[in-house]
Amino acid sequence: MLVVRAITANDLDALYVMATQVGSGMTTLKPDMKMMSDRLAVAVASFAETIAPEKRDYMFVMEDTDNGRIAGVCAIKGAVGLTEPFYNYRIGTLVHSSREIDVFTRMETLYLSNDLTGSTELCSLFLHPDYRTGNNGKLLSKCRFLFIAQFPHLFTEKLIAEMRGYQEESGRSPFYEGLGRHFFKMEFDHVDALTAVGKKSFIAELMPRQPMYVDYLPQDAQDVIGKVHTSTAPARRLLEQEGLYFEGYVDIFDAGPVLQARVSELRAMRESMLAEIGPVMAGEIACAPQADAGDPMLISNTNLSDFRMILSQTAAVNGAIALPEDEQKILHCQPGDSVRTLTLNPRKNPHV
Amino acid sequence: MYVVRPVELTDIAALEALAAVSMPGVHTLPKTREKIVAMVERSIASFAAHVDIPSEEAYLLVLEAPGEPGIVGTAAIFAAAGSNGTYFSFRNDVIQQVSRDLNISHSVHALTLCSELTGYSQLSSFYVGEREHSTPEAALLSRARLMFAVLAPHRFSDRFFVPLAGVTDSHGGSPFWDALGRKFFKMDFLDAERVIGGARNRTLIVELMPHYPVYVPLLPGDAQAAMGQIHPSGELAFNLLTAEGFEADDYIDIFDGGPILQAHKNSLRTFSGALQRRVALADEAPDRGREPQVRYAVAAAAEHQFRAVVTHCAALESQVNVALSADVQEALRVTEGDTVICVRI
Repeated sequence: MLVVRAITANDLDALYVMATQVGSGMTTLKPDMKMMSDRLAVAVASFAETIAPEKRDYMFVMEDTDNGRIAGVCAIKGAVGLTEPFYNYRIGTLVHSSREIDVFTRMETLYLSNDLTGSTELCSLFLHPDYRTGNNGKLLSKCRFLFIAQFPHLFTEKLIAEMRGYQEESGRSPFYEGLGRHFFKMEFDHVDALTAVGKKSFIAELMPRQPMYVDYLPQDAQDVIGKVHTSTAPARRLLEQEGLYFEGYVDIFDAGPVLQARVSELRAMRESMLAEIGPVMAGEIACAPQADAGDPMLISNTNLSDFRMILSQTAAVNGAIALPEDEQKILHCQPGDSVRTLTLNPRKNPHV
Repeated sequence: MYVVRPVELTDIAALEALAAVSMPGVHTLPKTREKIVAMVERSIASFAAHVDIPSEEAYLLVLEAPGEPGIVGTAAIFAAAGSNGTYFSFRNDVIQQVSRDLNISHSVHALTLCSELTGYSQLSSFYVGEREHSTPEAALLSRARLMFAVLAPHRFSDRFFVPLAGVTDSHGGSPFWDALGRKFFKMDFLDAERVIGGARNRTLIVELMPHYPVYVPLLPGDAQAAMGQIHPSGELAFNLLTAEGFEADDYIDIFDGGPILQAHKNSLRTFSGALQRRVALADEAPDRGREPQVRYAVAAAAEHQFRAVVTHCAALESQVNVALSADVQEALRVTEGDTVICVRI
């Protein structure tokens, strides 16, 4: 069985091994022992609540309880851009119009911005290829929404997720070749590596400060603005199901989209429910809403320092949930404890 | 003798004939009779005007060939570019990209729409017939505008500029326009020039042209190559002006990317080298062997009776008078004792 849980100091080696399998373009997970152990220390302090909320970095690992293997990782950063500037391009519109000669031209522009400073960020999602089956990806990605729904006071109202931008099969980023290369004069991989070691703002400072007309870019660069890497398309869909949407912010290097949401509007905030572990009365089953047979539930405990979450076939009925004993054990729960539940998939018609 | 003088109403027919043979472009003569008449009338009024502050005056000079009717060249100077608006151009900026942390240092070129040339005096409409192309008279015609400015500095700015036509293909297309202006104007180069009447001071330029820098590396190769390049027809003007002291590279035209030469008057040879001398009568039979003869452009120092010719005389640096033959005096409409200004040519 797979459990997603708060990371612990013991996970460092497994995390490192996983990072070696991540390709370029994923800047927050690099196989660098020093960086990784620093980050892990922050994550452990975050769950222990020994550092300020905006400095926190909640990392979660997905563990296979059958063999103790780490199958995936994901994270929520309390706030971005508070220690070094956080840059994005905002896609803006400029209209050039002359009534005199009856010309009306609508131009898209890229504005270098720090608009997303202070937002909570979903990041560092990686699922080991061996585990890319069934609902595992969903479980790993969506665990974070359940965590946010359980502890909303720890996060800012604005939530973002940077998506890896489009690259050709060769690894070439058309957007970078059309724009960034002219200003940085270095290979995309190099930029990517610098970004990973926290030098992104240095690079951004080399970027032109004035808005740029999209029309000046080569067509292949224009075409990929806001487009995700092929391998990231499923991840994007998952986030969009949960209430994130593209609002016109893109990465300054590869033009990958930034998805945004207001925390209060997340599906998890509206639909997740607390339930008490215990027997469900026979009479209550009859009045319970008809749950879709086979629709799995995300179930988490309510413990910040030892947050754990699983996928279960058991649904809550009127505030009670008859969770099997082995699942209780994995969640470190016992009868009488509260758990938070959310359907894995959005209901087709949530208002009925 | 070739004479440069202010245009007159009687020149209109000749100007029309010239306009028909001169190149299609916007930095040369107007094409229609109506516009030619307007330009001539404006020039006559400008020469007659008493000017305190340079404004909308436009002075048109013409080159008369000896012994033939009509004119063989034109050259104009506007007192203050964009006087009833703003003169727009692209400034060639170099943005230094430096990051000590990353050990990166390089520069990026950018074009910025600017109005800095507004109020400069603008030279334009230079045209000289094929026959006179490599003669000193071509230089005289180009330079006469600045000699007039030396004589009447209050009529002009301290700074001058000259836009020269940029590169176009045989169909009148401009690679620079296609990469830039077309995106905003959504029309062909010549159509746009027609719509705007060749002007660079219209409000619609602000409305339509990019407000933010255009980063040169993002432009296609042919557009980059066209930046600051002159149309072959502008070569003579370019050579004369750079010899005069004008500098290219700082500004280019917003439509075709042609170079805009500019200079402060102190760096122009006409200003620094103009000598004011009193007219004396030259010997009827000068002793040619006595002193080497130098070629000068000489202009009558009369603001309202401007005329200029090319002549030869002894070097003037150490003299009080300039010896001019009777026919030169007649061409300049000066007599002994009058003042002229002379510039080596």
